[in-house]
Amino acid sequence: MFILKNAWISIKRNKGRNILIGIIILIIACACTITLAIKNTAVDLIDSYKSAYDKEVTISFDRANMMKDFDPSQSEGRENAREKFDNIASYTISDVESFADSKYIESYYYTYGVGLNGNNIEKAEIESDNDMPTGFGHGKGNNLSSTDFTLTGYSSLDAMSEFINGTYTMSEITDNAWDIAFLGNYVFINEELASYNDLGLNDKIMLEDEDGNTYEFEIIGIFKENEEESTNTMSMFSASANTIITNANAVTAITTSNEDLKATINPTFIIDSYDNVEKLQDEFYEKGLDENFILQTNEELALSGVSSIENINSFATTFLSLTLIIGGIVLFVINMINIRERKYEIGVLRTIGISKFKLTMQFVSELIIVSVVALILGAGIGAVSSKGVSNSLLENEINSSNEKAQEIDKNFGGAMNGGMPDRGNRGEMRGKGMPVVEAYDSIDAVVDIKVLLELLGIGLSLVLVSSIASMVSIERFSPLTILKERS
Amino acid sequence: MANKNNEEKEIKDNKAIKEKNPSTKNIILSIKNASYRYSDAEENDYALRDVSFDFESGKMYAIRGRSGTGKTTLLSLISGLERCTEGEIIFDGKSLKDMNLDKYRNSDIGIVFQSYNLLPFMTASENIILSMDANGLKIKNKKARAIELMAKVGLKETYANRKVLRLSGGEQQRVAIARSLSYNPKMIIADEPTGNLDKQTETEILDIFKKLAHEENKCVIIVTHSANVCNNVDVIYDLKKVKEESNN
Repeated sequence: MFILKNAWISIKRNKGRNILIGIIILIIACACTITLAIKNTAVDLIDSYKSAYDKEVTISFDRANMMKDFDPSQSEGRENAREKFDNIASYTISDVESFADSKYIESYYYTYGVGLNGNNIEKAEIESDNDMPTGFGHGKGNNLSSTDFTLTGYSSLDAMSEFINGTYTMSEITDNAWDIAFLGNYVFINEELASYNDLGLNDKIMLEDEDGNTYEFEIIGIFKENEEESTNTMSMFSASANTIITNANAVTAITTSNEDLKATINPTFIIDSYDNVEKLQDEFYEKGLDENFILQTNEELALSGVSSIENINSFATTFLSLTLIIGGIVLFVINMINIRERKYEIGVLRTIGISKFKLTMQFVSELIIVSVVALILGAGIGAVSSKGVSNSLLENEINSSNEKAQEIDKNFGGAMNGGMPDRGNRGEMRGKGMPVVEAYDSIDAVVDIKVLLELLGIGLSLVLVSSIASMVSIERFSPLTILKERS
Repeated sequence: MANKNNEEKEIKDNKAIKEKNPSTKNIILSIKNASYRYSDAEENDYALRDVSFDFESGKMYAIRGRSGTGKTTLLSLISGLERCTEGEIIFDGKSLKDMNLDKYRNSDIGIVFQSYNLLPFMTASENIILSMDANGLKIKNKKARAIELMAKVGLKETYANRKVLRLSGGEQQRVAIARSLSYNPKMIIADEPTGNLDKQTETEILDIFKKLAHEENKCVIIVTHSANVCNNVDVIYDLKKVKEESNN
């Protein structure tokens, strides 16, 4: 009581100095509130963005391992590489199912490709054939050079990464396309192929394998490959001109009926954590995956989307640190001056028997009372300002997230059909699937209890650190010396 | 005249107690072979060396000596602002070494300084109440008690609410004495209490101290080099310089 009473008397007595200290703490509190709110919001956004991306693992060639003995200048080297390539054991759908039966895997999907020739349609002409066999790697091109068309079957909407990433965009689509796309022999064809063969929606096409077996499909959508995404620059047609998209069940039916057909499967596994990739890879090898394959993740992609927010987060951290350092120094200096000015008072109080502890507590209490008032005001001002400031800083992020969401909708033909298909109810083996990019109208840099507690912690730490001056001085001052100096 | 007065008094030097071995009946404070050396001083460089004095309740003492004899050092030891490096000080049967010196200063002794050492931003009564608060005194109306103490040292009630800077030197010293009495200590230690005052005021202040010693049975110790003060005390202790003492 004595401590608080004296502290309050001193605060009233030294109004000017305490107002100055209060203003400094208010500025620090205000800056800290805004920075902490932005920081916490940015961290939430980063977490939300990362969680929006499934943790995907795909199987791909270990190219470095494959090419380590390859010497392109020697024909022998090329032969060795080819032999090595031919000897790599491929994997089948049952292998993929076996791989997927792992505690690390939450779900999986895949594309299943097979090469077929046209029966009642013609292959879109290609001037310069740059097609390369793609083997078993995960890639969008599945053209098999010995056949006219590549029939690519997707196990679910989630597997249709070309539509998600904008390589393909649906230009025409039937009203019920997404209701039946995964149920039977329905296909989406490239608009160049459609134009070349004068095909339209609901037309039927016939494909045949090398043994003469025919398969009929109905066209339920026509897509186009975006020019900037096309890799086949030497051709008048895009790379996907002869790619016919269907569902995995349709391809499975074909490969089951003719076991001689060579099919490629590109699975994507959704895992629980990127930390388990190595363990999963070892498990795959144990289950028979050739060791020339390795597992690759989309971690880099997931992180790339949040780089701007992370920049803001690190800027906020730096700003916060600087504010605290400069604020701490200023408060320390003011405290030093304060102590020097009140040396006589300390001498008198010590002489009449007030202990060093009580005296220190009185000085600290004075600072705490002023600080708490300033912190409350600063938090209030910061809370009001933080939303506007953070929205302004994160404006680009808001815009890009909106654009991304709209683009994906458009790629699936949503603009024509009143919205994106509901991926949640489709696909036989669907997990969480492809990234769900949220559209933000604004980013709420909320000053919540967490921010307030952090602010209180920072404020009190700052007060205690800047009080070190008074603590040390009170400890070192000899009251008699002070009073003699005064005399 | 002064010399004559001094002859009538009991005048003792640093070794007096050892030599005369007086009665310990009313002794409230006993300094036994106290020495003090600053922490940064050389081994034999003492500010105060081997001092032994006794102080009784109900008597008024003067400690005198020339500059450099260690008067201030002795005052700081008696008032518990410093601790002896050698020897010990016994207050009311207890060694200061074993006592909480803050508690000792705000309960057992009252200190009065030459320059009053009041807090200028406070009123006269607030200065006195501050001392009561430091002591933890639990009385209902502290201001009434402060006014009562001020009356005891000859200050009118109207002075209670005045900032001390608006009081004269003598009035400020009276407030300082009232402050030192606020928790009814057994001993008053005063460092040149009349050094800044005129003769008339000095006499009035000394009368207050006399009353405290003789009527209220307090031990009053005044560090001084004023002859007038020495003429008014019961016992004078002479402090000699450490070097002089060594030579003798």
